[in-house]
Amino acid sequence: MKKLLALLLVCVMAISFAACGNTAPATDNSETAAAQSDLDYIKEKGTLVVGITDFEPMDYKDDQGNWIGFDADLAKAFAESLGVNIEFAEIEWGNKILELNGKSIDCVWNGMTLTDEVTSSMDCSVPYCNNQQVVVVPAEKAADYQTADSCKELNFAVEEGSAGEDMAKENGFNYTAVKDQATAVMEVASGTSDAAIIDSLMAAAMVGEGTGYESLTYTVGLNSEEYGVGFRKGSELKAMLDKFFEDAKASGQLEEIAEKYGVQAALIK
Amino acid sequence: MQLINRIIEQFPIVFPALNMGFLQTLKLFAITLVGALPLGLIISFGSMTKFKPISLLTRVVVWIVRGSPLMLQLMIIYYLPGLVGKNIWGGGESGRFIAAAIAFIMNYACYFSEIYRGGIQGVPVGQQEAGQVLGLTKTQVFFKVTLLQMVKRIVPPMSNEIITLVKDTSLARIIALQEIIWAGGAFMKSSHGIQGQIWPLFFTGVYYLAFCGILTLLFGYIEKKLSYFE
Amino acid sequence: MILEIKDLYKSFGRTDVLKGVSFSMEEGEVLSILGSSGSGKTTLLRCINFLERADKGQILLDGELLFDAAEEKTAKAKEIRKKQLNFGLVFQDFNLFPQYSVIENVMLAPKLLAKEAPDFKTNKNHIYEEIRHNAEDILDRVGLSEKLDNYPCKLSGGQKQRVSIARALALKPRILFFDEPTSALDPELTGEILKVIRSLAAQNITMVIVTHEIDFAYSVSDKIIFMSDGVVIESGTPDEVINNSSNERTKMFLQKLSEK
Repeated sequence: MKKLLALLLVCVMAISFAACGNTAPATDNSETAAAQSDLDYIKEKGTLVVGITDFEPMDYKDDQGNWIGFDADLAKAFAESLGVNIEFAEIEWGNKILELNGKSIDCVWNGMTLTDEVTSSMDCSVPYCNNQQVVVVPAEKAADYQTADSCKELNFAVEEGSAGEDMAKENGFNYTAVKDQATAVMEVASGTSDAAIIDSLMAAAMVGEGTGYESLTYTVGLNSEEYGVGFRKGSELKAMLDKFFEDAKASGQLEEIAEKYGVQAALIK
Repeated sequence: MQLINRIIEQFPIVFPALNMGFLQTLKLFAITLVGALPLGLIISFGSMTKFKPISLLTRVVVWIVRGSPLMLQLMIIYYLPGLVGKNIWGGGESGRFIAAAIAFIMNYACYFSEIYRGGIQGVPVGQQEAGQVLGLTKTQVFFKVTLLQMVKRIVPPMSNEIITLVKDTSLARIIALQEIIWAGGAFMKSSHGIQGQIWPLFFTGVYYLAFCGILTLLFGYIEKKLSYFE
Repeated sequence: MILEIKDLYKSFGRTDVLKGVSFSMEEGEVLSILGSSGSGKTTLLRCINFLERADKGQILLDGELLFDAAEEKTAKAKEIRKKQLNFGLVFQDFNLFPQYSVIENVMLAPKLLAKEAPDFKTNKNHIYEEIRHNAEDILDRVGLSEKLDNYPCKLSGGQKQRVSIARALALKPRILFFDEPTSALDPELTGEILKVIRSLAAQNITMVIVTHEIDFAYSVSDKIIFMSDGVVIESGTPDEVINNSSNERTKMFLQKLSEK
């Protein structure tokens, strides 16, 4: 019986090798795929897969479980203009470039700050929305930390590789890089860090009255920065989205969607 | 007090969301067992066979799979095909689940195979010989003599490994499989209209504790059932 | 002549363990094999019982060829199994099946064998009843009728060995082999095993016993062979081998044992 099972094992392995063998011609295809444009690739499969995280008011689910939000609605309109279906895929934010290059998603469209890391690894659209990095501190200490200089004595928590980390470096703050913005805020709430630097949109949603962090607030805005959409390098979709934004601005569609989600003040006109 | 009130108020929204996440956790757990338990037995026979190339090959595979982090294997299985050629999984939930299931089954089959090997080799060779001189066929010897003794030997290490598996399923979030830790963590940002809440994440521990508790009882029962012989 | 062993050879790697062993015995006889450790006694028993394959030589049962090393090496497992059933083997360390009770240990092989009978399906209950009856009877003969439903881990060494004898007897072998049946037992427990073997001898059961118990071998055997270094160096009646040995090595061995 041992022999029989050994034989079975050989078969399993042979099949898996054959499967590996199959990827070889697939690699050849990718060379032709490289010749194939990103636009053709997406049109061929008929779906634009948008990489997002659950991030109100940019991308979040309504009561029926459908994705809505400022970014989500814009992405739907863009996909429609391309004549393809849209699919939203929730991703682990730290893996966004892997997801994009691994083709499990076709773009990153989720209130993404255009940092050096982002613009160097993806082809990004023109900025469409303003953002600010703000300092989150306990409310009772807020009065003491209204300027960047006064924050120098604090220990910060920032999201690793985020615009917040760039700001901490730029201002010479002591900081610890953590997994994501939510963790950074939790550090402040639990007292393991004195303050955090996160997106203003995120801060508006996460801290203050009516949230889980009522004892926290945000004070000084450290810079102003911009949101953009990321595509694979060399994709013609970047140019098409830039054109789409231009048209949407002209027709008032952009303004209309922004008002729906209360972000019109941040729009880049 | 305020916190408790808030938890009570948010519980009806958080609870179903966590249940959905836990369902994914359970699905991954179950499919891993269904795949890895038999595959592990095949691999264990492969590593014990006297045919050198096969036993060497299986041992190398077991070394690679056990010698590298499961998190890395998940990322390689899910992202690598798309990075070097064609994405075979798609970006949706089902593709991520299949990729995670394959990584988990491979990984756990290798661990199980070593446990099986220890269990089979731990049954004294005299048992086989006694069966043989009594005229039992090899198949009868395996099923009527060796199997139960092997099962008894592997129950303690298996229960350890399976309980570890329950918690290891949370690693699948690295490829954005939305299991229960993901579902709980989502409330730290905003999910289902609730923002900035940590308690749902901490609350996921209750699910793990309850499930592992049930498994512990189950394995204790099996162990007790098999304690009538030595 | 019920059993004839002709010129058996067996080596493991470079170690020659059997270097041409021959002996024969009649039905109903008790034959004891003596010899120091490493003389090849156990290997001889294992070769006869198909647990090892002899490199050279023949085994004849009732004058018919049962095994010939010169034949095809890949004898079918099925055929070997059939031949195996002529013999019963009692191991030094019992090898009882721990997950089965005493009576289940004794009934396991007969039950599995019965499944091959042509009338098994129609007669199942009757056949099983008969097997159980037979097992109870044998266990009674070895003095274990009180222990039918005990598991091996609850038995003493002597009781375990008696179960193992009963298990071998249940298949009604033509010849019953014992491989140092008392070596794994405390000295005070050997008596009960020897008593059982003696009673089997009284029932004219053909037996081959590898043992170190000289006195026992002397009194129970019809024939004794003495092995050393892979060959039979002396054989004959107990008197000839033990009391009037002419061979130096036999004498030395016997002397050493009596010194103990």
